[in-house]
Amino acid sequence: MQLSNRWRVCAWVLTVALTGMAEAQAQIPAAASQRAGGQRISPQAARAALESEPAQRGRAQFSKSCAFCHGPDATGGAEGPNLMRSSVVRHDQGGDAIGPVIRDGRPDRGMPPIPLTPQQISDVVTYLHAAVAVSDRSSAGNPANDYSLKRLLTGNAEAGKAYFNGVGQCSQCHSPTGDLAGIARKYPPVELQSRFLYPMGKPETAAVKLASGAVVEGKLLHLDAFYVAIEDKSGWYHSWPLKDVKVDVHNPIAAHIELLSKYTNKDVHDLFAYLETLK
Amino acid sequence: MKTWSLLLACACALGAQGLDPAALLKPPTDAWPMYNGDYTGRRYSTLKQINRDNVGALTLAWAFQTRSTAMKGTPIQVNGIVYFSTPGNVWAADAKTGRQIWHFNRPSEGNHIASRGVAMYRDRIYFGTPDAHLVCLEARTGKQIWDVEIADIAFGYYLSVAPLVVKDKLIIGTSGDAADVPHFIAAIDPESGKMLWRWDSLPEPGAKGSETWPNKEALAHGGGPAWMPGTYDPELNLIYWGTGNPHPVLAGVDRKGDNLYTCSIVALNADTGKMAWYFQPSPHDTHDWDAVETPVLIDGTWEGKPRKLLAQASRNGYFFVLDRTNGKHLLTTPFVPSDWAKGIDAQGRPIPDPEKDPQPDGAFVHSYANGGTNWMAPSFSPDTNLFYVNASEGYSMFYLTLNDQGKPEGHQGGASNSFWNRALLTAIDYRTGKAKWTRNSGKGAGSAGILTTAGRVLFTGDTSGNLLALDPENGTVLWHAYGGGNLTNSPMTYELDGRQYILMGVDGVLYAWALPLK
Repeated sequence: MQLSNRWRVCAWVLTVALTGMAEAQAQIPAAASQRAGGQRISPQAARAALESEPAQRGRAQFSKSCAFCHGPDATGGAEGPNLMRSSVVRHDQGGDAIGPVIRDGRPDRGMPPIPLTPQQISDVVTYLHAAVAVSDRSSAGNPANDYSLKRLLTGNAEAGKAYFNGVGQCSQCHSPTGDLAGIARKYPPVELQSRFLYPMGKPETAAVKLASGAVVEGKLLHLDAFYVAIEDKSGWYHSWPLKDVKVDVHNPIAAHIELLSKYTNKDVHDLFAYLETLK
Repeated sequence: MKTWSLLLACACALGAQGLDPAALLKPPTDAWPMYNGDYTGRRYSTLKQINRDNVGALTLAWAFQTRSTAMKGTPIQVNGIVYFSTPGNVWAADAKTGRQIWHFNRPSEGNHIASRGVAMYRDRIYFGTPDAHLVCLEARTGKQIWDVEIADIAFGYYLSVAPLVVKDKLIIGTSGDAADVPHFIAAIDPESGKMLWRWDSLPEPGAKGSETWPNKEALAHGGGPAWMPGTYDPELNLIYWGTGNPHPVLAGVDRKGDNLYTCSIVALNADTGKMAWYFQPSPHDTHDWDAVETPVLIDGTWEGKPRKLLAQASRNGYFFVLDRTNGKHLLTTPFVPSDWAKGIDAQGRPIPDPEKDPQPDGAFVHSYANGGTNWMAPSFSPDTNLFYVNASEGYSMFYLTLNDQGKPEGHQGGASNSFWNRALLTAIDYRTGKAKWTRNSGKGAGSAGILTTAGRVLFTGDTSGNLLALDPENGTVLWHAYGGGNLTNSPMTYELDGRQYILMGVDGVLYAWALPLK
């Protein structure tokens, strides 16, 4: 940590000198991103960096020269440690720490020198930094849209079809040859799975009965414990204190929400397998 | 002679505006000297100027615009000055007017997701940073006295906890969920920043608890972060702290076993850091069910006898009551519906259902993916004997992502999708675990903490941006206001010069509410 701290301070001082105080804060992450660890780039940017040409050259080189010990994706093998967890890799700045280890090896730990050209070392360094960034930025949140269909497709499409037309009562609103025709082509698999469980973007509507007895209908914009607001058919906004009106809400996905409390894990995968046949 | 000593006393009071750690044992009502207000974590104030009968007249006393990211910490208030933070920033402001006294800004890399607040020891202010440093400031001026590195940012460590002052020590813990790393809780010398003791969430190989890991590699990188400040019982000299998820977060394949002491409540000796006992709400967690929610200390009655209790509404959706003298388990009940567990074992721990563990094709789980509750503070009122928690109910899919070698992909080793979910304010009778009342806080997830007072008022917020004062007996609304966004922190209160204030953070704005001036 000592070395990298000093480097960071140097980079910061330089940045301040060059750009002035006002921009210094914005510049720090850029300086720090030369290091593998501690990055706060987006998961997408991390993946893009891993797909870049130098990183891909580095990955190929890694497969040839390093993977036999460190594993095909640098997460460790029979002999070599997991490099995602390596202090040398995480504190490396542009190859200053990784480079000497590749060139000279670590005889004390049984790692031989690996004869690579400076360009090859640079590519491997780029690959390792990108791989650490992707690993660190892997999110507990939504799965990536390219999540493989092979992984998801474990259900029984016939059982799914029976559920669709039977207990699920999906066919009351949907048709495989109507609104759902080609649905599997329209959405990436993991998104399709989410969407049938909980379709987003269909606004609720409400009928608001005023004290006068008049009823105003429209798109429900807001409803909490105190106020209701709608957009009427002409696009104008209206709101009322809840205590003065009676509100009747219609949720177009109410049936989907109700099903959430009824599905078994198997139902979900069978239904998904069926929907995936609608290409 | 009398006049002289009086003058001298006044001069001292004006000159030194620090905080004697002894005062934390019985915090005065004109201060809120630490994250939870006092060591119990109950977030209950004896103040009652604002009460059930007059709270409807509550009005704005002042607002402070930080122009920063959302305030997720709780301000502290000592000697008329309120100190609060967002990641990389600390402010001191006049607690009666909201006017800024100083602002300390420390840009850095690292995770800027949250700062839970600052701590005060004598005339100094302490806070943790996104790059895992602990910084000491002069309370009077906001000038930096020292800055020490606690953990290595290259591994994604940061500090979100507000330090807890216990006697002559600052208790902190590390946060971080980017790389597979070990985490720890530590005592720091407030004078020098030197580490005095360190308790590791992961036992040494061969030590008790290490048998809950399959091998040294998994044990050495197994996580157990400390996202939240803990509580303290001065009579027992024990610190209570919750630890977070194991690493890799969602993939349990390479860490078979209970994975102690992750997702655990631990009791540590305040002087030595030695563990007195532990209880694990989520053995072998694979859903990110951190057990870091405030371990609330209740001096209550159990089966008719007075007993020192500890209660936690844990992220896994279960409410636990323990005897805090020895960790003996007394009660486990769900406070939201969920199906990730298939029962409760003899030790009172939920038994994970392997079918609900993350799966490559997705496991459909009746839980909101971010848990039954989270970091927002619960509250316990000795007036109602109810434990209040902002809960979340929902449905989600948990995915397990392994590479071609069968190893977890990335640090998470999985992903999750949340579907329909809603927030519920639940009032739990701690003796039975049953809800006395529940109030729907709206669609989506809430982040509102809770404060209760002897004025028979509960302060919190809903998911529609309404700041609320409720009747703690039944949840009836007594006052509400829209602050331009959702309550993002946990409210606190103090009384100064005869006026009681309620402070609430809404995104980057800190609001102070009070009764109208006559």
